[in-house]
Amino acid sequence: MRMIDMHMHVKGAGVEWSWDHNDRIIEAADALGIEQIVVSIPVMRGMPTFDKVRECNDAVIGCMRRYEGRILGWCYVTPGQQQSLGEIDRCLDAGMIGIKLYNQYKIWDPAVHPVLEKAIDEGLPVLEHAGHATTRRFTDEQPNISDAADFVRAAQLYPECMLIEAHIGGGGDWEWSIKALREAPSVYLDTSGSIIDAGMIEMCARELGAERLLFGTDMTMEGGVGKMLAADLTQTQKEKICYRNWEQIVARRRHS
Amino acid sequence: MLIDINTWVGAWPFRHLENPTVTGLLKRMDKKGIERAVVGHVGAALYRDPHPANEELARQVKRHTDRLLPVATLRPENPGWLEDLQRCHEDLGCIGLRLYPQYHEFQLTDSGALDLIDAAHERGFVIQVPQRVEDRRTRHPWDIARDLSADEIRLALETRPKVRWMLLNALGLQAARLPKDADYVVDISRMTAVLQRNMQAFIDEAGQDKLAFGTGMVFKVADPALLKLEVLDRGKRVREGIAWRNAAKILRLKRT
Repeated sequence: MRMIDMHMHVKGAGVEWSWDHNDRIIEAADALGIEQIVVSIPVMRGMPTFDKVRECNDAVIGCMRRYEGRILGWCYVTPGQQQSLGEIDRCLDAGMIGIKLYNQYKIWDPAVHPVLEKAIDEGLPVLEHAGHATTRRFTDEQPNISDAADFVRAAQLYPECMLIEAHIGGGGDWEWSIKALREAPSVYLDTSGSIIDAGMIEMCARELGAERLLFGTDMTMEGGVGKMLAADLTQTQKEKICYRNWEQIVARRRHS
Repeated sequence: MLIDINTWVGAWPFRHLENPTVTGLLKRMDKKGIERAVVGHVGAALYRDPHPANEELARQVKRHTDRLLPVATLRPENPGWLEDLQRCHEDLGCIGLRLYPQYHEFQLTDSGALDLIDAAHERGFVIQVPQRVEDRRTRHPWDIARDLSADEIRLALETRPKVRWMLLNALGLQAARLPKDADYVVDISRMTAVLQRNMQAFIDEAGQDKLAFGTGMVFKVADPALLKLEVLDRGKRVREGIAWRNAAKILRLKRT
């Protein structure tokens, strides 16, 4: 079965991960049968300068060129910076295919609205880091992380926006998140993250529909593929999750 | 041939687990081609007196001892643990202990814990220690058990190198810092064979007999661990070692 990993990261711009070279991503994708990987380099803590944001995106563009056709790019921006919309244009010109937001603002925050409006205008998906904390430590570390209820709120403001809640397997209480997301039928959910709990993917499909799910790994590559193989779903459902839904999203791009 | 050293049965009060019985576990094992497994009763982690969970586990396993190797749980601060240990060994057919320092509030190197470990070791038991049961990001607010630190585990191995240790759900143990003379295996459920490649790093530093196949069923799905074995870029001997030989050696099993 074809697989497109729509939630991954590369190292670069001073952001280190625990692999020695980005070639390892391609080796892993080859070993696991992943056709394409869509990557970003977000700044995970604090409010980055615009120069840093641009540096992150430049490193992604470098990987897109180095691994042409295998690695695709998300344009990471920090809402509220006046250069953000221009940076999205620059990254689209370089071949990126969506917008990545992290935890600098809640996704419904007015500071994010221009980015969401830009995404609607361009027909771009917006992937935002997300999670529902079960412990105080989690929220203390990321006070502005969006959870599913925040996505519901954003989707009520912008129902035509292709919002993607990131990593159901990396964002805290997945049962809470899935149930909350039932209220926002326009929002997608990606399967990535290191949690490989039994029943998680099945609950996503049962409560939200396979049409709203997107395959990703977020650096847990065997886990990401393994939980899809393990899921008690039909082949048709798995195909939707692993590549068809993503291809439909990408096909909605305007102005390309 | 596959031996899974990391399986669980029993209800977990913080999350619904589908059919967390011996029958349910065997069904999962059959589906994935796993011949034998070491199994513990997770209820024992939370009962004030864990021994009834040992008795329940033994009852469930009784007709499946050709495939399932039960490990008991005891709490070193409970009165009568020595007699319970004797019953676990002589009456219930257990082959080891699964200890929960994080739920039963002790350190592996506390004198009471060492007394229990020593007594179990004298009976020929293996000692299993999960670094954690569930990921802390997903835990119920009442589940405040700590993850065991790499230092706590290292210290236990240094203090009792002759004990046959099986470390479960572990990540971040630096093989180079673990005592060379210690008798242990680490299950691969949280490790990786691609990208981060911490399985290869562990093998290179600790030797090829220190990793063992483990899935985390019934909490987790088995496919990620199976995939790791499939894509690990090491020879047949190493992969067989992880699949069953290393576990069989430390469990002192003869191939059936």
